[in-house]
Amino acid sequence: MSDTLAPPRETRPAATPPPAGRFRKPNWNALLVEGRALIALAIIVVIFASLSPNFLDPSNLILMTRHVAMNAILAIGMLMVILNGGIDLSVGSTVGVTGVIAGYLLQGWDMPLTQLVAYPPVWVVIAASVLIGALVGWVNGVLVSKLNVAPFIATLGMLYVARGIALLITNGETFTKLQGEEGLGNTGFITALASAPLGIPMPVWFMVAFAVVFSLLLNRTAFGRWLYATGGNERAAELSGVPVKRVQTIVYVLSGLCAATVGLLLTADLPAATPRAGEFYELNAIAAVVIGGAALSGGRGTIRGTLIGAFVIGFLVDGLVLVGVSVFWQQVIKGAVIILAVAVDQLQQSLQKRRALRRVAAATNRPGAPRPA
Amino acid sequence: MFRKLTTAAAALVVTVGLAACGSSDSGSSSSGSAAAGGSGGGGGTIAVITVDPSNPYWKAEVDTAVAEAKKLGYETTVDAHGNDADKQNQFIDGAISKKVKAIILDPAGADESVGAVKKATDAGIPVFLVNAEIADQGIAKSQIVSNNAQGATLGAQAWVESVGEKGEYVELFGNPTDNNAQVRSDGYTEVISQYPDLKLVQKETANWDRAEGKAKMEIMLRAHPNIVGVVSGNDEMALGAIQALKDAGKLDQVKVLGFDGNQDAANAVKAGEMVATVLQPIVQGTTLAVQQADAFLKDGKTGASTEKQAIDCVLITKDNVDTLDNFVLSE
Repeated sequence: MSDTLAPPRETRPAATPPPAGRFRKPNWNALLVEGRALIALAIIVVIFASLSPNFLDPSNLILMTRHVAMNAILAIGMLMVILNGGIDLSVGSTVGVTGVIAGYLLQGWDMPLTQLVAYPPVWVVIAASVLIGALVGWVNGVLVSKLNVAPFIATLGMLYVARGIALLITNGETFTKLQGEEGLGNTGFITALASAPLGIPMPVWFMVAFAVVFSLLLNRTAFGRWLYATGGNERAAELSGVPVKRVQTIVYVLSGLCAATVGLLLTADLPAATPRAGEFYELNAIAAVVIGGAALSGGRGTIRGTLIGAFVIGFLVDGLVLVGVSVFWQQVIKGAVIILAVAVDQLQQSLQKRRALRRVAAATNRPGAPRPA
Repeated sequence: MFRKLTTAAAALVVTVGLAACGSSDSGSSSSGSAAAGGSGGGGGTIAVITVDPSNPYWKAEVDTAVAEAKKLGYETTVDAHGNDADKQNQFIDGAISKKVKAIILDPAGADESVGAVKKATDAGIPVFLVNAEIADQGIAKSQIVSNNAQGATLGAQAWVESVGEKGEYVELFGNPTDNNAQVRSDGYTEVISQYPDLKLVQKETANWDRAEGKAKMEIMLRAHPNIVGVVSGNDEMALGAIQALKDAGKLDQVKVLGFDGNQDAANAVKAGEMVATVLQPIVQGTTLAVQQADAFLKDGKTGASTEKQAIDCVLITKDNVDTLDNFVLSE
């Protein structure tokens, strides 16, 4: 436990370049840890590029990155929760419920107690969905931090509650009239979220923005330091004055925000709001975070690693379809890659720990040094 | 402690509030059309056990069963097992302990459901199967299924006609553990394989799901940019594929076939985006099942000559789509 108390290596600003003009000896060990997921990605790219001439086609890369982006945004939110030592199983359902809320409002909101139907403008629709996502996250956070419900259970419950609400709102149906009407002033939802400015699809822009913002949050703010500290050792963090409960609530809200964003992007992409949207997305998000080198026990993990993890999964899934691997093998291979990536990670860590122990032992055995009693 | 409780209470209120805001238009889909007077007859409760009402197809099944039962003077309970045989077992147990008069069941798997049906029958409750069959005969009172094989044949013929007997095509396959996915796929293959110039270049599963159908289609379009057609195991995947084709500007060159006949698909057929879809007579089949249950409860006979009854599917094209409304084709 105590070894996680010191700021872990990965907490260094992920994207800081080495100081200009000064040569720094590369830290091979750190590079290897960071690079492990990157190596996996490189292997995947090389294999598929050699099997399919279309794989490295720029438009195909953009397409696959759009698929990756949805999972990556979810995974960024998931990383916040996992850094805290929790887990959020409800994100897939949150994707569903926020998308459905957007669809519902765009179709026209039958206001209760009146005969009126409201057609809120697109920014209100988006804000409302995001708010609902945050709310779902906040309820998760309160359950975990104030009522001490285990994160697995609290968010598992929320998985069902949120999905159920999505079904109640739609009554099991799918909303497809999302383009709005000029006269009602609610057009533009699809263009706002499913267009491709400068040839890059909107979800990719969102992924980049989220990565930058959350990177800064983790590396440049007190909240980021608190988060790593609570995940490493909650009791120690609390004793040193970290508002542990508040941090714990906030991470679930952040995860809810990310899920709401994906809900909106997915709805605009289809374009349809279906109550089943996002089913099982939580599993891919968790896999991305873990492949990216984060520890499920908390305190260790980076945005950069998580992004690479999302790319590993996304490129793998799409690549298998592109080269036409049979459906059942696709699942086997995907599962094997997840296990392999994490197994290698564990191996590497135990090696590092042993090396560190040996160094300590060597230091204490120095002649003249005080011998341990 | 007090603060903790208030926060928790607030959280609870929020959750309930969310639920309430949604339920305004949901009506009474859950259970009990309270003691509907109806047309006298029967009385008692019929348990309706379905798969997944979030899918419009099964929703039509439930709505039909509840409405027909109410008309004949029964109350209903509704449960959904989501193709989970364990859950199905629990609902059957529940129905037995509630001493319902009859069970209308859309079974979760042909082999897995035999035991559940037997248990209810042994407890003296007649079971009427709709939409899917079980592996054994002589246990359930009737098994009313839509003829998926015949439907797939119909759809494939219409699709071949519109594609023109030549070119590469891809297939979107349903959930691989679902028997209907295979039956439909076989039906398509049986017809299309008669045209040697139509070549299946890739077959992917999209688990009946629209978003997955779109994502898989986008990638398959990369691998096979010159396809002329898509056959899909259901409408949702077909609709996802259509959106992918639209985004790629290829909908003109590619003909898409769906299956189920749901409302979105009907609109797509109307708009000329989908060549055809195949309507499963789920409303007709469910109505029949409830009527046979009623007949059996009254005089011990379902009135049908055989236990297994297959109802033919109907092809929906531009010619007749206007008469289709929520899984019912008016003449």
